[in-house]
Amino acid sequence: MKFFLFLILVYTFLTMGCAHSLNSNSSTLSPSSSTSTPPAVVTDASNSGEVNLPPREKEIKSESKSSDDENFNEDEAAGEKAQIADPIEPLNRAMYHFNDKLYFWALKPVAQGYNMVVPEVARISVKNFFSNLRFPARFVSCLLQADFSGAATEFGRFTINTVWGIGGLLDPSSNKELDLQKQDTDLGQTLGVYGVGQGFYIVWPILGPSSPRDSVDVVGDYFLYPVSYINPWYVWLGVRGYEEVNDTSLRIGDYESLKDAAIDPYIALRDAYVQYRLKKVEQRRLKLTPSKPEEKSSLSDDSVLQKN
Amino acid sequence: MLIIFTVHNTAVAGGPFGPPQPVSKETGGLYTGIGYWYHEDIYKNGTEHLIRQNQVYSHVGYGAKNLWEIYARIGVSDLKIFDAYNSTNVLTTTDKNDFEENWKFFGTLGAKGFYALNRIFGVGAFIQGTYYLSNFTDDVAGISGSEPFTTDLQIKNLWDVNCGIGFQATAPYNIKLYAGPYIYYSEAQASLAVNIPGLEYTAGNVTIRNKTIAGGFAGVNIPLLKGFQMNIEGQYSERLSAGAVVTYSY
Repeated sequence: MKFFLFLILVYTFLTMGCAHSLNSNSSTLSPSSSTSTPPAVVTDASNSGEVNLPPREKEIKSESKSSDDENFNEDEAAGEKAQIADPIEPLNRAMYHFNDKLYFWALKPVAQGYNMVVPEVARISVKNFFSNLRFPARFVSCLLQADFSGAATEFGRFTINTVWGIGGLLDPSSNKELDLQKQDTDLGQTLGVYGVGQGFYIVWPILGPSSPRDSVDVVGDYFLYPVSYINPWYVWLGVRGYEEVNDTSLRIGDYESLKDAAIDPYIALRDAYVQYRLKKVEQRRLKLTPSKPEEKSSLSDDSVLQKN
Repeated sequence: MLIIFTVHNTAVAGGPFGPPQPVSKETGGLYTGIGYWYHEDIYKNGTEHLIRQNQVYSHVGYGAKNLWEIYARIGVSDLKIFDAYNSTNVLTTTDKNDFEENWKFFGTLGAKGFYALNRIFGVGAFIQGTYYLSNFTDDVAGISGSEPFTTDLQIKNLWDVNCGIGFQATAPYNIKLYAGPYIYYSEAQASLAVNIPGLEYTAGNVTIRNKTIAGGFAGVNIPLLKGFQMNIEGQYSERLSAGAVVTYSY
């Protein structure tokens, strides 16, 4: 498993230079051009009708609804359409179909059954527990971004939630009295903050939408997530599977509505993914460079997009 | 309950009782805490022995209306029994005198009720029980006659039950001072793997119990910042026990 992850890491770094497009009216990028100048983007939708919503996609859907609005002008963002090269679209679509079937045929039925048996409060507690275990990745990401206040917040959250949150099952840190909010960051965002481009679009089997840059996050997350060190491997697999089922049970219907609303769900998800990640990176940048209001407003999405 | 307390007098285990008034918010809700408790007592089974424990535990409780509360704890504790291996036979010597074993899990359940007499004073009652989920085991070696021996002593099924009445006064800054009497009973089974002449414990279960059944407790509950509270308490029966817990109310 570690060797496989190492190969992914090497591959990711080799392909990191690939950039995504900034222009909305560009045509499909040919694979050969993906390594040169900022490429154009895929805008032609195929007829593929099915989409998978693996973890990251579901995260996009649910989190995009929530409180990501600080320091980010959505109106400006709406004007620009962030796009990404998709040189391996046929392969991506195949993976996307695979993930879609995996969701509808396996994950969703299991999550629905689990949903009926386990009350929501317990499922939220389980989610809190696993989220608390993901503290190392968020903490290291904050440190790598020189966001020491974020790292301190994460450390405080972890301590309080572990000690007074019954091992992380509860989340007292998020209460308004303590107001230690989770630092929504990862290693992919860290690279983005330092100006590393997303590269091209990849759909990993099971893991879902990604890019070479964000694949670093997958690898880093593996090593920084304590669950990864569970032995034997089948216990690890069981725990990860349970975590996924639990998370899915809290989001049943989100993916379906996204899919129903899209003409081409593959394109819709890809666009949603790239915009979501772009927004996250921009939020981190703004947080790390507190500036005067006029400076903030002068940071146009164009410049932001070009950095990504 | 009275029957239990009149059977034999004696004690171990324990833990803080907390303020009579529920720690939960008045509107009701959960609270959690982490605490440490240093416990000393004397138990007997013919011979008296001093026992000492250090408990670290996690606490969760639920209460409402400043009227009632239920709580549970899970934690780990060590156990030291002084002079457990003292020999009464001159032909038997052991390599150590004290029984010692490190962290074993225990669980505690408790409930309390409170009645406010006025804005300052109040009275409450509680009941609390603890059970050790694991046995304590310690090896001992020595010479009996001219024969070397090695055996182990197990302390099994250690449990206790406490109940009492607490009187509370609320000081400025919502600091709560409380004190009251309590009675308790605890017992365990001690079992030596092999009979060794001169050692107090023998093969088969020997019941050990607390020496004294009554004691007094006093404590203070101090509100800290942002929903946290600190509770410091001391108990005295045969020996002084004390500890502190920091709680957070949701």
